[in-house]
Amino acid sequence: MTKDIIAFWGYPEKSLIKKTKNEYPNAKWVDLDIDINAPDLKLLPENYCVIIKNIYNNALFLKDKIIKILAPIGKDKCDSAYFASEILKEAGFCVIQTIFEDVCPDLTKISVPISKSSLPLKEKIELITKNIVEQKEYNYLKQSNPRFGFWGVPPNDLSLLDLFPDGTEVFGWCRAVEAGYPGDYRIETYVDKNIPTIFFTQAFCSKTQLAKYLANKYEGLFIDVDVSPNASIRAKIEAFIKLR
Amino acid sequence: MEIYVDAGTTWTKILKVSENEKKYEVIPTRDLKKLDLNPKKATGHSIIQAQNYENEVVALANGAKKYLEDDFIALDLGSRDIKWVKYKNKKFQDMDWNSSCASATGATVEMLLKFYNVSVSDLIYTKEKYSITCGIFGLEKIMDDVSKGLEPEIAISKFVHGIAYNAYIFTKSPEKICISGGFCENKCFIKCLEQYCKVVPLGRFVLVDGLEMLINQD
Repeated sequence: MTKDIIAFWGYPEKSLIKKTKNEYPNAKWVDLDIDINAPDLKLLPENYCVIIKNIYNNALFLKDKIIKILAPIGKDKCDSAYFASEILKEAGFCVIQTIFEDVCPDLTKISVPISKSSLPLKEKIELITKNIVEQKEYNYLKQSNPRFGFWGVPPNDLSLLDLFPDGTEVFGWCRAVEAGYPGDYRIETYVDKNIPTIFFTQAFCSKTQLAKYLANKYEGLFIDVDVSPNASIRAKIEAFIKLR
Repeated sequence: MEIYVDAGTTWTKILKVSENEKKYEVIPTRDLKKLDLNPKKATGHSIIQAQNYENEVVALANGAKKYLEDDFIALDLGSRDIKWVKYKNKKFQDMDWNSSCASATGATVEMLLKFYNVSVSDLIYTKEKYSITCGIFGLEKIMDDVSKGLEPEIAISKFVHGIAYNAYIFTKSPEKICISGGFCENKCFIKCLEQYCKVVPLGRFVLVDGLEMLINQD
């Protein structure tokens, strides 16, 4: 079988993306963080971050087609990803570890037109993740006057984002990714205190610590979701949006 | 006549409003389907498919406003879930809702009372409490202690104390909690909760009152 996929997770260092694009101009890029309905191989403990489970399940499902995996392992991703990168190496993958911990030299100059746009939240998150590879400009997007904020990473089940009104502003890791600094703690933890915000993490992710802390600090709503949001989580978001 | 329904897992609370009077009823939820009700607004886990369904926390918040001042924390402790909402200066401030592990709420207490043939009025405040982070472990402790000779009503009372303590922690340890739901009628629970904060029981009909208020606001 022809290998034609460049797989990655998180936000690999920009120059590595550029170099790999030049090296494999016809390759398809697959984000292993995203659930593509690969069979669950149950390689990880039951109570573990579903995004890391996705990485394993997707990588092994696509193994015959993957040329190499660009594997962020720094503060821009997490320790679990580092362990996954080592284990996948042992499983025979070509794994290029990357660390993207650059910090923004001037926070007043960061550009996040997607995060601040009036698009539906799901479209925003999809666009931000897609743009990791595409690197297009979105300055033309109409900016929103947001009633709510969403803080966090792209959820495993994107249907969660349909519960938010259009124009919900994006904060957290997604915003840091759009800004081009996925490991910049200051961007990741920035929240507009005037915008009621829902702080989301995947269950069993170390970012739950940050989300809970920030939710208390900014009087927002903390939610953690494992695979998909249950009725309780949906109702909590709905109530927060109706009452706030 | 306008009808408002809060269909919980075990009990359904109904408010019937006519020109001259308001009538409140409680029926077992299993009997709800036998009635041909056409509620103007409905809430609760057992009627989630209703066309005019309202979120339970929204109903709770609106109902509590009827009873309370500008600042309050209203906690609804149901058969299978626990939820609360906080208002400060008339504005929504905070909330939480836990239905992912509801093993230690009303339904569990009702089952324990039936299992050990104990009446709710037999429960008494005990200084000791079971730690019931997990309701299943709580049940295990009750059964262990009863097998060692502890009276079932004392064991269940310790369990209820654990629920009260959890409710206090879940609401972020406030100075005062206003209670909605069937636990208002559980004197042991109220007494246990009073060890930690001031308690204002609001009764079982806060959510249906909230539904009526929402209609009037519309």
